[in-house]
Amino acid sequence: MIFTTNMTVIRNNIKSISLLFIFLFSSSLHAELQLSISKSANDGIPIYIANIAATIPGGHNGIIEADLKRSGRFTIVDRAKIPNLAPFGGTLNASAYQGIADYIVRGKDDGNGGLSIELTSTSDNAKTNYQISANSNSRRPAHKAADQIYQKITQEKGAFDTRLAYVTVINNASSNRLFKLFVSDADGHNEQEIMSSREPITSPTWSPNGTELAYTSFELNRSGIYIQNIFSGAKRLISGRKGSNNAPSWSPDGSKLAVSLSFDGNPEIYTINVRSGALKRITNSSAIDTEPTWNGTNSIIFTSNRGGKPQLYRVSGSGGSAQRLTFGGKYNSAADVANKKMTFITGNRGAFHVAIKSLGGGSGRDMLSNGRMDETPTLAPNGTMVAYTTLRGGQNTLAVVSDNGKSKQFLRSALGDIRYPAWSPYLHR
Amino acid sequence: MKTAMRMTMKTVKTKRIILPIILSTLALGACSQTQNEPGVNASSKDGGKTTVNAGSKNGTVGKGGASNVTSNSTKGNYLPSNNANSNVSDGSDLTLAGLKDPNNLLSQRVIYFDYNQSSIRPEYMVLINTHAKLAAKFPQLKMRLEGHADERGSREYNVALSEQRAVSVRRIMGTQGARSQQIRTIGYGEEIPVVQGHNKKSWQKNRRVEIKYDNY
Repeated sequence: MIFTTNMTVIRNNIKSISLLFIFLFSSSLHAELQLSISKSANDGIPIYIANIAATIPGGHNGIIEADLKRSGRFTIVDRAKIPNLAPFGGTLNASAYQGIADYIVRGKDDGNGGLSIELTSTSDNAKTNYQISANSNSRRPAHKAADQIYQKITQEKGAFDTRLAYVTVINNASSNRLFKLFVSDADGHNEQEIMSSREPITSPTWSPNGTELAYTSFELNRSGIYIQNIFSGAKRLISGRKGSNNAPSWSPDGSKLAVSLSFDGNPEIYTINVRSGALKRITNSSAIDTEPTWNGTNSIIFTSNRGGKPQLYRVSGSGGSAQRLTFGGKYNSAADVANKKMTFITGNRGAFHVAIKSLGGGSGRDMLSNGRMDETPTLAPNGTMVAYTTLRGGQNTLAVVSDNGKSKQFLRSALGDIRYPAWSPYLHR
Repeated sequence: MKTAMRMTMKTVKTKRIILPIILSTLALGACSQTQNEPGVNASSKDGGKTTVNAGSKNGTVGKGGASNVTSNSTKGNYLPSNNANSNVSDGSDLTLAGLKDPNNLLSQRVIYFDYNQSSIRPEYMVLINTHAKLAAKFPQLKMRLEGHADERGSREYNVALSEQRAVSVRRIMGTQGARSQQIRTIGYGEEIPVVQGHNKKSWQKNRRVEIKYDNY
């Protein structure tokens, strides 16, 4: 009965694909990661978000506030500081609140899940209005609103309406382990299971259009690199060569995966054309070469121990000689690049922390984490936030930190250990 | 202080004398390894370009090799039990039944490694050679070498490291007559720990290669 109703809805709706997605994974639709906020910027741009009546828990305003906070660039003004603010559509003399907030956001739910948002600057009373259409994911309009607000104020594109892919391990302490690949909203809501296996699943990476994931799976008792559509579930093997098929990273133009393959006896970086399967060798050393990540469309950064210890190197996307990028410390690895910033893991007196550095020049780096076993950092597409995993209470937990280090949140799974977060590109649907 | 120092030196010296004897039958194999045994012959390869100096990596020449085990309270867990006598079998006395005998060296199927190393600790040579000779004697016998890493360092690098550990074991087995088609290698990285702790003792147990015979 329920099935029939859903089918009717799907037939009647143009957005059938996204609805089908929800329908397919409806059993886990309400699962979400548990958030705890470690710190927020107290010297950020003060912004006041008025209550926006909505049927979703926490309201649209709660989602917008949490998003802006996560960027480390905003400080949310306590709602009690501006009592009796005129509702959306009513007269607002914003300059009266200049000492309290730099910006005031008012909004209205159109009743069908769409949003009208008004951003007002208290310095000049200038107003900007946004109309955001409804989405099958009822939280996305608020994320889109946060992206608009963020872009208007900071002049850089917002990355709140994005997703995370990650692996969760259930029963990690027993031989009854179960590995699950999930996709969720970037704030940990709407967790959706993509695939499940008794054998390890590792290294998810997003296609630039946000519709497919490539990952390594040991499901056939050997490693293989697969590509799976997150909406249809359709899946294909990209590389099942002898030895390891590991660490895929999708090129920004969508045409290739950079991978680490060891079929010739030693792990080397290759690119694989995702359509033709054509293989091209990029590195040639007797050392471990792995963890490739794209730095633009024709440059690859990877980890190699060719100098004796793991360090980061850069090589042209067509091969050739590699140039060493990291010199400080005995262990630098697992790079990810977005918007001319690079995040990576750096070893420090037996602990492993997340660092970030500019690729635009300068040799400085900033430490973003202080855990013992921090792993697999991944940058939001605008380069302003980093997700990684850290040990908390004996469990691998997802952490999201702003690139300025001022905001940090933890997302814990009730199911078990979280590994291998991968931040999606900007979403197109 | 001085006494302790002298004792350590003595241990190292003793091992250095014994090692060449143990290793003499497989000197060629050991030399062709990607990385050398700590405390045995820590040299550079590739004309100095790729320097793999196991000893200086964690300051454990001797410590990272054999003597670490003797000074460690967890000794028994990582040493093949009848390693003390270095009589490497010539294979003639090896039987498939030995695989099922808990008192036979063949029942020991785990080789442990130093941190961030894929070189074989000298004390595992006898164990590896014994399995290799069994494989050489029974060509239909097939095995998987499953490499693992501890949780330290990055995950994908650890997959490669753990695969290299398995490859190191296979290489030595090859020098003893095991055929390449008998041995498959796989690196699992840090994905499948045997113990969950976040301490040195747990890490040591997780840095391993497991020998898994297809039908035994």
